[in-house]
Amino acid sequence: MRLSPAVVLPALAVVLAALVLYPFVGTGYGVRAMLQIFMWIALAGSWNLISGLTGYVSFGHVAFFGAGAYTGAILVASAGWSWPVAALAGGIAAALLALFIGYPCLRLKGPYFAIAMLGLNEVLRALVSYFEGLTGGGNGLSLPTLDATRAIYYVMGVLAVAVTAMTYAIITSRFGLRLMTIREDEIAAEAMGIDTFHHKLAAFLLSAVGPGIAGALTARDQGYIEPLSVFPLAITVTMIVMVLFGGKGTVWGPVLGAAALFVIQEIVWARYPYVHPLLFGAIIVAVVLLMPRGVLGLLQLKYRLPRTI
Amino acid sequence: MAVLAVDGVKKRFGGVTAVNGVSIALEAGRIYGLIGPNGSGKTTLFNCITGLERIDAGRVRFKDERIDGLKPSQVARRGIGRTFQMIRVFPELTALENLLVVTRGPRPQAERRGRELLQFVKLAGLADEYAGNLSYGQQKLVEFVRVLMTDPTLILLDEPAAGVNRTLLNDLLAAVARLRDEGRTILLVEHDMKVVMGLCETVFVLDHGDKIAEGPPGIIQADERVIEAYFGR
Repeated sequence: MRLSPAVVLPALAVVLAALVLYPFVGTGYGVRAMLQIFMWIALAGSWNLISGLTGYVSFGHVAFFGAGAYTGAILVASAGWSWPVAALAGGIAAALLALFIGYPCLRLKGPYFAIAMLGLNEVLRALVSYFEGLTGGGNGLSLPTLDATRAIYYVMGVLAVAVTAMTYAIITSRFGLRLMTIREDEIAAEAMGIDTFHHKLAAFLLSAVGPGIAGALTARDQGYIEPLSVFPLAITVTMIVMVLFGGKGTVWGPVLGAAALFVIQEIVWARYPYVHPLLFGAIIVAVVLLMPRGVLGLLQLKYRLPRTI
Repeated sequence: MAVLAVDGVKKRFGGVTAVNGVSIALEAGRIYGLIGPNGSGKTTLFNCITGLERIDAGRVRFKDERIDGLKPSQVARRGIGRTFQMIRVFPELTALENLLVVTRGPRPQAERRGRELLQFVKLAGLADEYAGNLSYGQQKLVEFVRVLMTDPTLILLDEPAAGVNRTLLNDLLAAVARLRDEGRTILLVEHDMKVVMGLCETVFVLDHGDKIAEGPPGIIQADERVIEAYFGR
């Protein structure tokens, strides 16, 4: 099975053009929903960069989302920055946090890293609640009123595309293959001359930028944030489930997982608000049991799809 | 001048002394054997040389530079390549990708070199197959040529003959001899005495972490202490 660029590129262009035009024809709900899907693509795609490729499962990836959200919100609310610049600052803040945390934590192996990341998120939430002067503590932080949904839609869309394009570039490069060797056999990778620590650190930094920007954009979009709304474990879990469902370590897996699960979630949530967490749990169990590689991972093995999928 | 000089290297695991002050020196362009009963410290010595284990005492010098204390990746980049007793290919990477990951420099050249090496071990047709789907012997060959991709000066082979059929083995041994002729140094751990006797110019014998003998294979075979270590008194 071969997908030639002559088919794929025009198809991608049509989809992108439709998404660009959508805010002019879509309903308010539709635009908001697409905005959310963009956000989930950026989050899931970023998690995939560190966890899908290197196998180092980050259980606290929402920490970067929250750090970006607070950085962006504070810069907008207190320093009067414009939101696009504040969003970039959110990405940079998240990357710095990743550098600071990655240095000690990426030396930990497997499950210990996962737990350390979980701890990081709790620590950040506590810190944000504690420094009330800057963050508003548990009362949250309100941003000046501004209706920028359409602009944020585009910026979030660009972010989703950027994360996916970066994933493509990484996975098709030797750098990406080296990240996978860490997942496959870290000791052999080291013995073959691959500096696994610095490869992990680079992937970790790249995986933090997207969530940082997405957090700052979400803060601006919602106009109000509080510790519980931007540091919930549920966001990390959702990223993980989306990637596992779509196919970890693939280019399009996070996109597929984000879109599919978001739509399922919306439908179920609207009809059966109480069983929706139950359904999410059921999906996790089903994916892990029936197709641990996710939809695309399964297809990749079965039909020998290239890494560009 | 020795390419590799291991000097009084010790490695303890809890109360067990796995390597007890072993010294060996390897000259360029030669094939050396490392033998000894199970648990005598052969693989641990490999791990001490390649940086996978931190040594407790002694020194390891490679091309006149101390390499003990370096990370495994740093040791590898200085020109020491190795294979493992239990095969360690990257299963969800293709055979060709397994070779590409260890290369630097322009990718087209690396791919060409990788395909050449796969051709050389008669795996060209399986270049795009996941390494995990290959047979044991094929994986062993992938691991072997993966080492060659890094263009190492010193090659450590941990039981290259184990589980490999005769025809394949002869190709493999011919390849090892050719690497020696190119000026590379090879140290191999091997239980198959025919392989050791046929290939190695010098053999080191370990027993319970001590080096008990060193010399040409013919003399080693007749050494009292070696016979005792293998068969008991």
